[in-house]
Amino acid sequence: MSQELLIMLVCFLALLCLRLPIAFVLGSVTVVTAYALGYGNVPLNVASNLANGIDSFALLAIPFFILAGELMGRGGLASRLIELATVVVGRLPGGLAMVNTLTCMLFGAISGSAVAAVSSVGGTLIPEMKRKGYDGDFSSALTATAATTGLLIPPSNVMIVYALVAGNVSVAALFVAGIVPGIFIGLGLMLVAYLVCVLRGYGRECDAVETERPSFGQAFLGALPSLLLVVIVLGGILGGVFTATEASAIAVLWAFLLGVVFYRMIALTELPGIVLGAARTTAIVLFLVASSYAMSRLLTQEQVPQQLSEMLLSLSDNPLIILLIINLTLLAVGVFMDMTPAVLIFTPIFLPIAISLGIDPVHFGIIMIANLSIGLLTPPVGTCLFVSAGVGNSDIVRVSRAMLPFYLVMILALLVITYFAPLSMFLPKLLAN
Amino acid sequence: MNALRIFSRLNHFLARLLQGVLIAVFVILVFVVLWGVGSRYIIGDQASWTEELARLLMVWLALLGAALVCREEKHLGLDAIYRLWVPEVQRLARLLIFAVIFLFAGGIMAMGGAQLVVERFASGQQLPALGISKGWFYMALPVSGVLTAAFMLESFWAILIRAETGAERQKGEGIA
Repeated sequence: MSQELLIMLVCFLALLCLRLPIAFVLGSVTVVTAYALGYGNVPLNVASNLANGIDSFALLAIPFFILAGELMGRGGLASRLIELATVVVGRLPGGLAMVNTLTCMLFGAISGSAVAAVSSVGGTLIPEMKRKGYDGDFSSALTATAATTGLLIPPSNVMIVYALVAGNVSVAALFVAGIVPGIFIGLGLMLVAYLVCVLRGYGRECDAVETERPSFGQAFLGALPSLLLVVIVLGGILGGVFTATEASAIAVLWAFLLGVVFYRMIALTELPGIVLGAARTTAIVLFLVASSYAMSRLLTQEQVPQQLSEMLLSLSDNPLIILLIINLTLLAVGVFMDMTPAVLIFTPIFLPIAISLGIDPVHFGIIMIANLSIGLLTPPVGTCLFVSAGVGNSDIVRVSRAMLPFYLVMILALLVITYFAPLSMFLPKLLAN
Repeated sequence: MNALRIFSRLNHFLARLLQGVLIAVFVILVFVVLWGVGSRYIIGDQASWTEELARLLMVWLALLGAALVCREEKHLGLDAIYRLWVPEVQRLARLLIFAVIFLFAGGIMAMGGAQLVVERFASGQQLPALGISKGWFYMALPVSGVLTAAFMLESFWAILIRAETGAERQKGEGIA
């Protein structure tokens, strides 16, 4: 038994190092292990698990939120959010840094993609910040970090993936639970960015305000239709008007109407390309879900999660320490692995442990996402870091160095989110009553 | 060399066809789910086939899309360690991963999937609301498997005789 598991682990690591796509690593390791364990009719069973793993109506929200996000992104979302953020926080010292943070939070939430937030918002604001005397590496670092808050502020695709593998976790509860932690991290980043700006003398005089500025009302009205997307989705789900999946389809319709009909930023001829792009991202994510389902079926059959959890619980039965161990493991995982596969692989292993310690699965999901967000900002595979360094014409080492104060914020926020459950659970509990 | 060029052209055609199919499936998917919500509020009774059809289409979208993404080498992988290697090792690694994907797509998805399809058609199990065989649901597996295997054969072949166009693999975006 444990010998077969060892084979599994060795194959897993070897294939990963060869850069076999993670989805195929999971699939082929499952096949090899199943043969080694003497399972019958492996091809048919693994194939059927692949298809059954994605046969879920709840999962449909992922392609739709991806498509809605792409449509919103192309529909000039960034410029309207920047205008709104400018009238709200642009007058503070270090105004552009504040505007950048707030815009990334909103963009990340609406588009559901932190990477898209970095490239769209950063593409406009990083050059602008540099022109106004802000350090370029600081600007890139701030953009990348602020964008990750969009993964906690709903709607969020990673949460749907988590809800699926966790089983019995409501997407709506996760969405609501992420609001406060996401804003909390955003405010923390603003505070640190503010201190850096004051210390280094960036943006002393209303630098975000240059030419004629729209009034608050104008800017708000301009951004309102985009912000309404979040309101429709959240309101509809919480009000019981429609399910998360239906909300995501309505989000597509809304984004289409905004981009093509109202703002006319998207030409009809661009639509096939946008849909195809969303189809690619969908396939990448769902195929990962499919193959990780096949693997987790095998692991469950062999009671691997139980064994791992007994092992971990034999070290300590203090929830604080176990959570610390889980967090450290996930931080290490996040450095090397993208968020989606990390959630898919480690949720089935760690969640039972967390539940046995009395941690709510919704709270645990928020911990995982906050934790793995940090991995998006670290070399060697921090997608947000890479994109922001690219957009800012800087290099990864310099931007990571500029990111040190923001890493600190993220780690502190992770500790607070982990050990102070009400931050995540207050809103969902309030709504459940 | 010539045989490879013909095979490449065929795969190129298949990939284009696949793109068209993916776009069509995605658009239909959106309308199906919207009709599901709409019918509940407009007619007052949700059309029961919408959820079933949506799930069927999503499985096809995901599996067919996965084949296309394989050809474009955009699936998420671990780049960090691969990048440390000398080009010769990288070339061998690529040959090996194309072979592994080929085996998985051909052996599991195509052959295992085909077995599954035949079994479901024979058993008469149906998708209740649509009234068609459950075999249509699993049919996405062998179709995607055959396409992926063909694409991987092309990539393997091209690298083996070093005729690849040199298009470096781009990283997929995922949903972060």
